[in-house]
Amino acid sequence: MSYGFILYGIINTLCVVLAAPLFVSLVKKVKAWTQGRQGQSVFQTYYTLAKLLKKEVLYSPDASRITRVTPWVCIAAVLVASLFVPLVYVTAPAGGIGNIILFLYLLVLGRFFMALAGLDAGSTFGGMGSSREMSIAAVIEPTTIIVFAALVFVFKSLNIIDMVGTAVSAGTLLTPTLILLGISLFIILIVETARIPVDNPETHLELTMIHEGMVLEQSGRNLALMEFSAAIKQMILMALVINLIVPWGIATVLTPAAIGIAITLLIVKCVILALVIGLFESSMAKMRFFRLPSLFAMAFFFSTLIIIIEVFA
Amino acid sequence: MLDLFFSIAILIFIAGTAIALAGVVRDSRIARTLSLACTVAASIFLAAFALVLLVTGAALRLPVWQPFPGIAVTFFIDRLAAFFLVIIGAVSACVAIYAAGYIEHMEGGSRRNLLCACMALFVLAMALVVGSATTIAFLLFWELMAAVSFLLVTYEYTTGETTRAGIFYFVMTQLSTLFVMLGFIALFLATGSFAISPAQVAVGSAPLVTVAFLALFIGFSIKAGIIPFHKWLPYAHPASPSPVSALMSGVMLKVAVYGLIRFLIAVFTPDLWWGILILCAGTASAILGIIYAIKEDDIKGLLAYSSIENIGIIFVGIGLFVIFSCSGLSLLATISLLAALFHSLNHALFKSLLFLTAGSVVHATGTRDIEQMGGLSSRMPVTSALFFTGAAAIAALPPLNGFASELLVYTAFLESVTLVDPLIKILLFICLALFALTSALSAACFVKAFGSIFLARPRSRASENAHEAGLSMLAGPAVLATACVVLGVFSYQILTGFGYVLPVPDLLFVSILLLLMGSLTYIFLYFAASHTVRISETWGCGSPSLPSSAEYTGHGFSEPIVTIFASIYRTKKAVTNDYYDQHGCILKEGKAEIRLLKFFEEYLYLPVARTASRIAERVSHVQNGCLDTYLLYVFLAVVAVIVYLGVTA
Repeated sequence: MSYGFILYGIINTLCVVLAAPLFVSLVKKVKAWTQGRQGQSVFQTYYTLAKLLKKEVLYSPDASRITRVTPWVCIAAVLVASLFVPLVYVTAPAGGIGNIILFLYLLVLGRFFMALAGLDAGSTFGGMGSSREMSIAAVIEPTTIIVFAALVFVFKSLNIIDMVGTAVSAGTLLTPTLILLGISLFIILIVETARIPVDNPETHLELTMIHEGMVLEQSGRNLALMEFSAAIKQMILMALVINLIVPWGIATVLTPAAIGIAITLLIVKCVILALVIGLFESSMAKMRFFRLPSLFAMAFFFSTLIIIIEVFA
Repeated sequence: MLDLFFSIAILIFIAGTAIALAGVVRDSRIARTLSLACTVAASIFLAAFALVLLVTGAALRLPVWQPFPGIAVTFFIDRLAAFFLVIIGAVSACVAIYAAGYIEHMEGGSRRNLLCACMALFVLAMALVVGSATTIAFLLFWELMAAVSFLLVTYEYTTGETTRAGIFYFVMTQLSTLFVMLGFIALFLATGSFAISPAQVAVGSAPLVTVAFLALFIGFSIKAGIIPFHKWLPYAHPASPSPVSALMSGVMLKVAVYGLIRFLIAVFTPDLWWGILILCAGTASAILGIIYAIKEDDIKGLLAYSSIENIGIIFVGIGLFVIFSCSGLSLLATISLLAALFHSLNHALFKSLLFLTAGSVVHATGTRDIEQMGGLSSRMPVTSALFFTGAAAIAALPPLNGFASELLVYTAFLESVTLVDPLIKILLFICLALFALTSALSAACFVKAFGSIFLARPRSRASENAHEAGLSMLAGPAVLATACVVLGVFSYQILTGFGYVLPVPDLLFVSILLLLMGSLTYIFLYFAASHTVRISETWGCGSPSLPSSAEYTGHGFSEPIVTIFASIYRTKKAVTNDYYDQHGCILKEGKAEIRLLKFFEEYLYLPVARTASRIAERVSHVQNGCLDTYLLYVFLAVVAVIVYLGVTA
């Protein structure tokens, strides 16, 4: 493994860790604006995390080791997954980092533990959240894999880092298909980050919640870890959409100027995407749970159609 | 030298059978333990011997017995056979270690000795099937394997459920033998040879080869549990003792897989449509298997359906292998075949691990219903950790072995973009989507299984008083669990060691990264976060303490998926109410029922069975048991023979 790749890892992880909470608050801010409120500060998530770290951790007497290890597994899985998506600097991948299937399954690893932790405390809400989360994750999976297959088809590589590299060096969109794939990726982003119309991240009502239900029993440091890993997950999925569809500005050489430009452009692009997510969420109502499969089926047929067009083109 | 080892292993197995049988009369515990020790020793011997062959790549031929010219029982062990012998040996050894503890908790007195004897014989039969070099030997040991496994399934023959399961299994397994035999006859007619070697097809017998393939495919599919021939698995596994389920699901299904792979590689020159057939059958089994598994409440039934799913995944690998080798993509063909083989090994490991630990749980709680369990993680900590390893492996969580083999399947699928034919490409994409759905559903299924059995609070008295299993019942599964972790983390190194440098990620590196990220976070939080921890009641919406019935149940957990896939389950919900008044206000009595249609049973099995019994009824008119009638038959037959001879002369 080269020093270049280790540097890539450090830069990428630092960017993700520092920037991730910002966009969580930003989406909330956008939603507040559309509702005519002033909303919280864009740095609120940082404050919340810092506050949670100072609080004590509560465990249910029924909770097993699963509840105790879940936050660590989630954060480790999502931090490793963040290495798979280049944010500001792209180099040759090493050791299989960047493999698109491994990326998907690292997210599954976190979800598996989270769902078990939801069941662990013996509360009804947690189980409800776990059950819904695993069902939704299962139903969206065919769409995700088809979109990934389409990406592999377009970029002729199984590696996300290579894909971004190809996109950067091409300078322009490889095919118009990518725009269509961007739409599918956006749907996956909405589903994976538990947003409206799939889930409502703002409520703790048993009728609506999915993701929030699973982390209801977490507290203090552990809750901070769970929220932080959710933020990182959102950040890397946003970066995935952005850097594959509009890759301009990503550094290919390691100079302060290039990295500086890349960071600025990334922030601008992420802010725009966060605006889009916020507006999208505000313009929609939460869907009934059992209506979701038809939404996913639509996304699936859409993506399959793209593949078929691409295959015969 | 090596052939001696094989013979010694066979002799130890036979000794194991003999010792157990010798102790039948006195219900001897020593005989049982000795017999199982023989099985363990012979299995380890077998695995070690096969591992040597696997590593060196040497092949071994052992002529044994030739009753007639042209008909011989011969063994031939090459790398493929050695690989499956490793599976058989390694898993059987762990199962036998477990059985030594388990069997002493079982009821049945001296019948337990018979169980030990049958187990040794069963493992031996499977090893001999894999070693067979002629179709005659193959069929002989295949039938031995079927007969002994029937005895094992019907161990608890006094319960009605077991008898029914046993008979169902017996019919299916005989059907399998029938089709395999048909295939062998067709092969013999086409090639004129009983040897399992590349078929020198006689001119004009191409249709016969197709018939042979189809017959063998159906025969092996029945044994492997491919949908729609799968129905015996969810009956036989819950009915049989746990070590037997582990052996059957972990190992015997793989023998059928071996049969298919052996004949595809060594005998036939496959056609493209064969690959498509295998791929479609595999995909259908995988997706339907896991969809059925998720609604099961019976822990062993759930595991049985999940076996159907995993065999489906293995068939997907085999199907891809045939498709790619017919399309001339040799690297992808290698990846797919390796995926199928690797998943066979992995499934053998984690499924037997799950069946064994499930056996411990069933023993501790006295029920197979997961709704009656719960809260076992504090009562059976080691068993729960072992079951968790199995569940995580089967749900394909990186970096465990289940993920390593599914990754190979995914790689083969995604790399298939280099394929030329667009129609096949689209078929592959659709299968890929279903495969991904399967994998995600299996994660959901095992969250349900582990969550309902081990987490939260006990939902019954039996579960509350459960206790940890004994040492041997932990040792066997512990070996399997370790193997699951090692084979996953070091998968890249192992594959490279065998000379397959594949474009897959190095999971060792990924594991190190996971540990690194985890420990970095830990170090940061050690300095940055508060360390106070408090144990406190779960919020129960204001009520002082919630009963365990308020927890989310396994049923509740799978309800969304059952509703989403309602059209597959053919769920019918019916509510009928009687009222005292005509406005329907005061309820007199009501009935609500949820009915799940047993699709394959009602639309495939029963019609076939009914037709068979109708034909049998007709035939039975001829066989009326009256001596006069039989004399008449003999008389008519003699007259017919005389007339025939007279005419031809």
